[in-house]
Amino acid sequence: MSILEVKNLTKRYPSFLLDGVTFSLETGRIMGFIGRNGAGKTTTIKSIFRLVHPDAGDIRVFGLDMNTHEHEIKQRIGYAGGAVDFYKHKRIRDMVAVTRRFYDNWDDADYHRYLSLFSIDEAKTPLELSEGMRVKLSLTLALSHHAELLILDEPTSGLDPVSRAELSDVFLYLKNQGVSILFSTHVTSDLEKCADDIAYIAKGRLIAAEPLQTFLETSAAAGCGATLDDIMVHYEKERLL
Amino acid sequence: MKHLLNKEWRLAASPLSYIFLIAALMTMLPGYPILVGAFFICFGIFHSFQNTRETNDTLYSALLPVSREDIVRAKFLFTAVLQMIGFAIASILTAVRMTLLSTALPYVNNAMMNATPLYLAFMLIIFCAFNLLFVGGFFKTAYKIGLPFLAFGIAALLLISLAETLHHLPGLAFLNAPAGEGLALQFGLLAAAAVLYILATILACHIAKIRFARLDL
Repeated sequence: MSILEVKNLTKRYPSFLLDGVTFSLETGRIMGFIGRNGAGKTTTIKSIFRLVHPDAGDIRVFGLDMNTHEHEIKQRIGYAGGAVDFYKHKRIRDMVAVTRRFYDNWDDADYHRYLSLFSIDEAKTPLELSEGMRVKLSLTLALSHHAELLILDEPTSGLDPVSRAELSDVFLYLKNQGVSILFSTHVTSDLEKCADDIAYIAKGRLIAAEPLQTFLETSAAAGCGATLDDIMVHYEKERLL
Repeated sequence: MKHLLNKEWRLAASPLSYIFLIAALMTMLPGYPILVGAFFICFGIFHSFQNTRETNDTLYSALLPVSREDIVRAKFLFTAVLQMIGFAIASILTAVRMTLLSTALPYVNNAMMNATPLYLAFMLIIFCAFNLLFVGGFFKTAYKIGLPFLAFGIAALLLISLAETLHHLPGLAFLNAPAGEGLALQFGLLAAAAVLYILATILACHIAKIRFARLDL
């Protein structure tokens, strides 16, 4: 069953066109949403959250239309867009005390477990944390209300290799708990350990949306390279020529 | 809504919004354009909107399981509560000036606007201008605060000038009288201003909701 369906998503900006993006994410799977900087990953994710208004297209989460079931859907999804960039001068404890009230399923035990896992001191302010630690805080907030779907925009940027590996383990753990994850990144090595599916976007158009293994095999057979990095470089160079 | 309002108080509000409520005490100043106090109360609230921008409060709120309409409503409610606290303080002090201190020399010889029901009415009209021009204007972009505040500042200046001028015009001295026959009309104008404040704030909130719903964040 599709937990997230994006159909023909189109958004026009003066200098950029997100052109009919279509993909779906099945329950309990991890999808890596890859593409170089400016390819349209963030616009797609913002469209899913109705932060931007698409010119065309249909987005359904849990089979529900985001336009008419926004509250219900947001209770059941978690979002982390890189490092926490909110209320940088407020103590984490105070920020969480406010945030937790919005979620029916907020779990303090889970929250403290992730704080401990990521070694975050909630007496600190986001300003006192490094970029990587703020990413972890962002994830902690997204993970603490039993989200069934996590949508993560570049969550590993700024993280050290050990933290990235830890995060991959967390994603696999969550997947085993039945959580689905859409995970945008341009650091493709993060995906090889944990992603089931790949959606590859370039210059606003979706190049592929299929199981990772299929994508690797068909790309290798077409001579585009054996790793996600190689394949991306191949496609992007081809588009430049 | 109560959770959003809680967020406004605890995360988005600038302490200056509370500190500037002290400006309501300007009601007691003789020989001073006391309506400036209403402007300063709004200036204090402006700082919370500046804080909203600097802390990415709008994006944070938009990601929460709340509607965009409620985000706008919470901002207006926060604004209105602070304005009403300032108005309540000014009302109490106006009552003190009109009764206990009605014969105090500095107030008897006051050439500027007195603390009267008309003063309170003008205070509400200045709040109307803030809600329409600044708060409503803020939600055109949800980050630009300079131009909306400039528009409000000009409107406030004109309103204060009008209020300070009216009672100097021939036949209109009663508008500044803290006692006498003119009081009934002043209370009538205060009631009209209260209705205007409610309607203008509802209208501003409605316009802001439409503007904010269209915004790409």
